[in-house]
Amino acid sequence: MAEEGVSRRNFMVRTIIGIVAFIGAALMVPFGGFGLLPGLKKKDAGWSDAGTINDLKVDEPQERRFMQIVKSGWQEEKQERSLWIVKRPDNSITAYSPNCPHLGCGYRWSDGDKRFKCPCHGSVFDINGKVLGGPSPRSLDTLDVKLENDRVLVKFVVFQLGISDKMIA
Amino acid sequence: MITKIVDWIDERIQLRDLWKTFSERPIPGGSSWFYVLGASLVFLFALQMMSGVLLALYYAPTPDHAYASVRYIQNEVPFGSFVRAMHHWGASFMMVIVALHLLRVFVFGAYKKPREIVWLLGVGLIMLVGGFAFTGYLLPWDQKAYWATVVGTNVAGTVPVVGGLLLRIVRGGTELGNLALSRFFAIHTYILPWSLALLAGLHIFLLERAGAGGTWKTADRTPERAEPLFPNQLFKDSIVILIVFLALATVATLFPAPLEPQADPTDSTYNPRPEWYFYFVFQMLRIFEGKFEVIGTVVLPTIGIIALVLLPFLDRDPERAPLKRKLMMAIAGMAVVLITVLTIMGAQAPVVNAPAVTSPSVLAGRILYSKNGCAACHSIQGKGGRIGPELTHEGGKRDADWHIRHFKDPQAISPGSIMPKVMLSDKELNELADYMLSLK
Repeated sequence: MAEEGVSRRNFMVRTIIGIVAFIGAALMVPFGGFGLLPGLKKKDAGWSDAGTINDLKVDEPQERRFMQIVKSGWQEEKQERSLWIVKRPDNSITAYSPNCPHLGCGYRWSDGDKRFKCPCHGSVFDINGKVLGGPSPRSLDTLDVKLENDRVLVKFVVFQLGISDKMIA
Repeated sequence: MITKIVDWIDERIQLRDLWKTFSERPIPGGSSWFYVLGASLVFLFALQMMSGVLLALYYAPTPDHAYASVRYIQNEVPFGSFVRAMHHWGASFMMVIVALHLLRVFVFGAYKKPREIVWLLGVGLIMLVGGFAFTGYLLPWDQKAYWATVVGTNVAGTVPVVGGLLLRIVRGGTELGNLALSRFFAIHTYILPWSLALLAGLHIFLLERAGAGGTWKTADRTPERAEPLFPNQLFKDSIVILIVFLALATVATLFPAPLEPQADPTDSTYNPRPEWYFYFVFQMLRIFEGKFEVIGTVVLPTIGIIALVLLPFLDRDPERAPLKRKLMMAIAGMAVVLITVLTIMGAQAPVVNAPAVTSPSVLAGRILYSKNGCAACHSIQGKGGRIGPELTHEGGKRDADWHIRHFKDPQAISPGSIMPKVMLSDKELNELADYMLSLK
């Protein structure tokens, strides 16, 4: 009789724990996914107009500002962006992300010694984006560009900083 | 390892003692399937808190963004439709179980000495749950949200003497806009959850102090017949909680929470309807008209609440068996029948002047028209400014192409016009043009 009481009690305790565990586990996927997945989704950037190619001179980098339409949750907003574009001797166009790959400072072109220089920790890059000195772990990040009717279209993305691989953030 | 941690805590705050008191709370006459409703409500409240906090991750409480953010939750966020449906239907489940819980406690006479205070807290909890339901459905800012809240808040305006003041306090102004929405959001997500958690905590704690009601049969109220809360009662509670959970999850999966077109304060074709659990109030408004309206909106609800508050003080007879409380049972039965009938009548209330079929694009155009301040210069059916041409019958005059070219550059189409260029996307210009064409 006492034995029976104990096993009945055990059965009830186990059922309670089982139900709590089941509901918890069942909710984990939808609730966790709802909270976490949108933040992890990679955004697919569209093409933005970064200005004309007509006033570009070969091997003279220009900083350009432009508006990118960014989808932020439920809202499409215009966000001001910048980048560096270089016209190469073969008339191709290269675009660099405006942030130093080290920790994200805005670097600039120094006309005198033909170098990109970062003001924060002294990284130096040549016109091809290659690291010449300083702590930057990789070359300047290039962005996808295409030309349409003398306009530079760019697929602007933000990269992860401080690592040796170029990865979209 | 776990034992060690519990030991450590126990040594300091007597955790096991607390658990012992809670878990060994004796249920006079033993556990019962009738006593599972309170625990189900605790479960549903926890679930509403979780889904509510999740919704708040993406929700924006302003009229400009609320609708778009809810549509984003509904259509784009993974599991968004499910989480929103859980919250939406969870409210209905809660309403039903609150009513059953109230009824159960009433029939079992459990509100009698020594549990009067527990009962009073319960009455407070009912009002908080009603407040949740009422403040919750404005938040999506769709047509139903907007219009049901216009009507619902106007009910506050019918209170004698202070009605107008009350209305402005509830809405944060005279109209339903920015201030009303953020007010409802703050009440729904800060004030009510904390109040409910506090009151429910007290409700449960004081039941602990006063002792569970248990059976009304005096012969069964012996120590040998009593069973502990844990595991005997909590076992039954858990089974019912599992059923409630499965039912809610099934409903939430099969029936997504509705989302009507965005709120349009200028739409006169919409037929406002509250959520089903307010149908009985809605129906009372249809029964009491004109100067009697205040009976339905203020007098009867106040009498109802006062009756619930006074119940344990008026009915002090210790007799708990329902069969020996025939008058009480008759009153409860009548209240149930009355509310059920009113609810059914409310649900069947005829729709007045069935809404004209308005395309979403015309609707969107109308919202653009009001958002962009077109009415500052133009008037439609007597509403708006007189600087620009009247647009009441604009629909029959020109085609969409003309309108779009005219929006983009008014002076090119109509030289000498002082109308500013309409700076909108092509899609929006199309919608605005569709709205113009709909004006006949």
